[in-house]
Amino acid sequence: MQSHAIPGARFVDPKVLSRVGNLELLARNVVEGFINGNHRAPFFGASIDFAEHRGYVAGDDIRRVDWRLYARTDRYYVKQYEADTNTNLSVLLDISRSMKFFSRGIAKLEYGCFVGACLAYLAQRQRDRVGLITFDNDIVSHVPPSAKHFNVVLHTMELAKAERGGNLAIPLNKMAEHFRRRGILVLISDFYEEPDTILEAIKPLKFLGNDLIVFHVLDPAELDFGYEDASSFEDLETGEQIPVVPESLVKEYRAMIQAHIAALTTKFSEHRIDYTVLNTAEPLDRALFSYLSSRERLMRVR
Amino acid sequence: MTFLTPLFLAGLGAIAIPVLIHLIQREKKRVIEFPSLMFVRRIPYQSVRRRRIRHWALLLLRAAAIALVVAAFARPFFRQGAVAAAVGGGAREIVILLDQSASMGYGDHWARAQEAARTIVRGLGSDDRATLVLFAKNAEENMRATADRTRLDAAIGAAKVGSGATRYGPALKLADSILSRSAIKRREAVLISDFQRSGWSGSEEVRFPEGMTVSVVSVSSPGVANLAVPSVTFARASFSGQERITVTAGLSNKGDAPVANVPVTLTIDGHEIETERATVAPHASGSVSFTQFTLTGANVRGSIKAGTDALPADNAFHFVLAPSDPVSLVIVDSGDRTDDSLFLSKALAIGTTPTFQVDVTTASRMTPSAFDKRAVVILNDTMFPPAAGGNALKRYLEGGGGLLVVTGDHTTWPQGEAAMLPGRLGATVDRTTGRSGSLGYLDYSHPVFEVFKAPRSGDFSAAHVFRYRTLQTEPTDRVLARFDDGAIAAAERKIGAGRAIVWTSTLDDSWTDIGVKPVFLPLVHQLVRYLAHYEPSTSWFTVGQVLDLTARAKGRADRSDRIVVTPSGERITHAGGGEGNEGLLELNEQGVYEVRPTSAPTGRPEAIAVNLDPAESDLSPIDPRELVAAVTGHATQVAAGPAAPVQEMTREESERRQSLWWYLLLAGLLLLAAETVISNRLSRKERFL
Repeated sequence: MQSHAIPGARFVDPKVLSRVGNLELLARNVVEGFINGNHRAPFFGASIDFAEHRGYVAGDDIRRVDWRLYARTDRYYVKQYEADTNTNLSVLLDISRSMKFFSRGIAKLEYGCFVGACLAYLAQRQRDRVGLITFDNDIVSHVPPSAKHFNVVLHTMELAKAERGGNLAIPLNKMAEHFRRRGILVLISDFYEEPDTILEAIKPLKFLGNDLIVFHVLDPAELDFGYEDASSFEDLETGEQIPVVPESLVKEYRAMIQAHIAALTTKFSEHRIDYTVLNTAEPLDRALFSYLSSRERLMRVR
Repeated sequence: MTFLTPLFLAGLGAIAIPVLIHLIQREKKRVIEFPSLMFVRRIPYQSVRRRRIRHWALLLLRAAAIALVVAAFARPFFRQGAVAAAVGGGAREIVILLDQSASMGYGDHWARAQEAARTIVRGLGSDDRATLVLFAKNAEENMRATADRTRLDAAIGAAKVGSGATRYGPALKLADSILSRSAIKRREAVLISDFQRSGWSGSEEVRFPEGMTVSVVSVSSPGVANLAVPSVTFARASFSGQERITVTAGLSNKGDAPVANVPVTLTIDGHEIETERATVAPHASGSVSFTQFTLTGANVRGSIKAGTDALPADNAFHFVLAPSDPVSLVIVDSGDRTDDSLFLSKALAIGTTPTFQVDVTTASRMTPSAFDKRAVVILNDTMFPPAAGGNALKRYLEGGGGLLVVTGDHTTWPQGEAAMLPGRLGATVDRTTGRSGSLGYLDYSHPVFEVFKAPRSGDFSAAHVFRYRTLQTEPTDRVLARFDDGAIAAAERKIGAGRAIVWTSTLDDSWTDIGVKPVFLPLVHQLVRYLAHYEPSTSWFTVGQVLDLTARAKGRADRSDRIVVTPSGERITHAGGGEGNEGLLELNEQGVYEVRPTSAPTGRPEAIAVNLDPAESDLSPIDPRELVAAVTGHATQVAAGPAAPVQEMTREESERRQSLWWYLLLAGLLLLAAETVISNRLSRKERFL
């Protein structure tokens, strides 16, 4: 990999962005808050766009009671408005040891950085605030969302090293406590835990109304287990070694990883979480294009 | 258990020493790094294990001895005593929010909710206080803050499932208010419910301050099956002077399994009229139509019952039928042409809600008796009825009648009767040359034009007006519409209980083409409905609605007190001339209310049907943690520590009193002695290690 003058600039590949850039119109309606005022926030707030009336309940501010409606109907209603906002886009990047794995070309961590950087770049162009949290079994670094933090995000990605074991529950719970303002969360990980455990760890992120986008980054070797010689395999997360004869278990392994992906797909879709599997052998722009296109299609039917 | 000097626990690393010794014979081989072996581990592998550990007992003995010695140095002790002291010394203020909405009647949900509430009451300490709040759409304090467990238990036992819809906002607001008033620092709300998604919109603006906690007890069941009757529609038809009605019942299956061949029964006045069979797919809706029947009178009670399931309340739907009451009106025209009132009479022949009973006559034939039982009189481009006389028309208006004066060439109004016309008619304005006139202003706040308020709800500007009469109104008259030049197009005057409206152009094709515009029909209907004081009859209400009995009684002569019998048999007396809240009846129960004047204890009472909110039938639950996160602002619930200052025992004192380290050290030394004996014997035998 050749060096660049700006730290982290290599994550924003011009070739990639030249194709992704064509998606801007597509993405405008996909990611919330791309342009100030163009976006309808998913919650009610104070602005000029009237949304609906709601029955008055004890405790509501009586200044918001629609007295004209009261005069006509003898009932108390409260006016609600749509809020227009920019949004926060936070990239939550798993940098546990398993992410440093690569079988050919590019490591999963590096690929995850590419994805995160491209989405952050798109968001930054739409004037959204971008931030980054890297984590393994705890939060490692935190760049709060800001309109000026794009370079800091890239720099932090550049410095990220996969050194420790991973555990989703602890760092994600801390993050859920941290996110008080609704936004878009992009979670990038290889998800080596049971689907139920993963979902339990991720669900609190959704509770406050965040829009959660999950990328499952996998190396082709993890998908097809294309090893031939019997060897000792070392678990990068735990360091445990197990003697393995690949040809005797390759079929079962492939079935298990596919079942794992299928279980995650089902569970995430049940909780309305966008889930995309990214293969590091595939070109990044193709992966992003495929993801953004599918999300745009989904937005149409929502 | 905790440790006074936990740093010593680092010594547990020494356990690795015997393990390493046992594994010393590991084979050296090429190692491939792989992200995770979680899937590989699940696959049974038959090869020889390269890292076999022999003498497991010896290994465990050594590891246990090291662990015990290390644990002894870390000086462990139990915090139970200190915690108990904290719990005993810190009183709690608890609000138990018990959902009694209609959906809690599903299966054993209510019994489980009561048991959960009783468990909380049983767990109260001597200084704790609890408040019982029962809630559905609204919330009320059933039992104020008390430490008396017996009273709380009795209140929980006496509570019953209601018919209301679920709303979590008011209950949580009330809990917030109760807890905020409390001087006790440990404050907690416990929400016991089936957590229907429909009860939480997410915008209730309830936020507990820091320090207050919310815990939840969910009694929802997975895979619920529920069939509901959410609505009923009626198609009316006239046959031989009698009204025939076709009832169509809507069915909604909220369960995951299809409902097949379920019986749906129509009951009228207590008699089962017909039973049809219906099949509804999961999470889908269907409908069942019954054979027409003849409506015999007013206050006919009906109900639909569809099958049986774990939530029987929403399997029934009640309604009350009354013959449609046509609005009777007379159109008075000049009689110069045979089709003077063609546009008006044709427009009024189309109405269904209500139907209009229209008679057409001429001004010269009008007699005082012609006003009898007429809701509206339309003077359509004609002279003032001479035979009717001013007094008869005045009496008619003051008695609540409606008068629509449509002006034209033939319209004359005597000076003596000016009080009955909203303004003074002037000369005719001719706009046939040049640009024709159009309607430029409409008073959308007036009931006649309110329906045209929304965008694309009627284009009055498309109508061309070629002639109209000028009108000078009094300050007390209300101008309803103006032409583009500012001249008045319509004005209203209240006369006694009656209403009079004047339209300063014609309602046909002579002075204007409004008669051929789409707005003509709804405009005529709105004018007649308003002048006739028409109120559509309601066949049923929803639980939670409030009924104004005084307003319902206004049209009747009998103003005596009224007795209301609720569906559960409770009798309530309402003052007949009640003002303010006295005449309001809150419909809290599902079923049929009976209202009867005290002056007429016998005879058929007025019936009011009340049904569940259809949202109660949808039992799909929300994740309780989502609700807690929205209320507390924490995505994960943070356990509140003992807020009250507690005289807690110090860690050193607890450890010193317990002195567990002494026992652990002794046990460790004993194990080491045993290990020495065993290993010596083994080494003699095998020279192992």
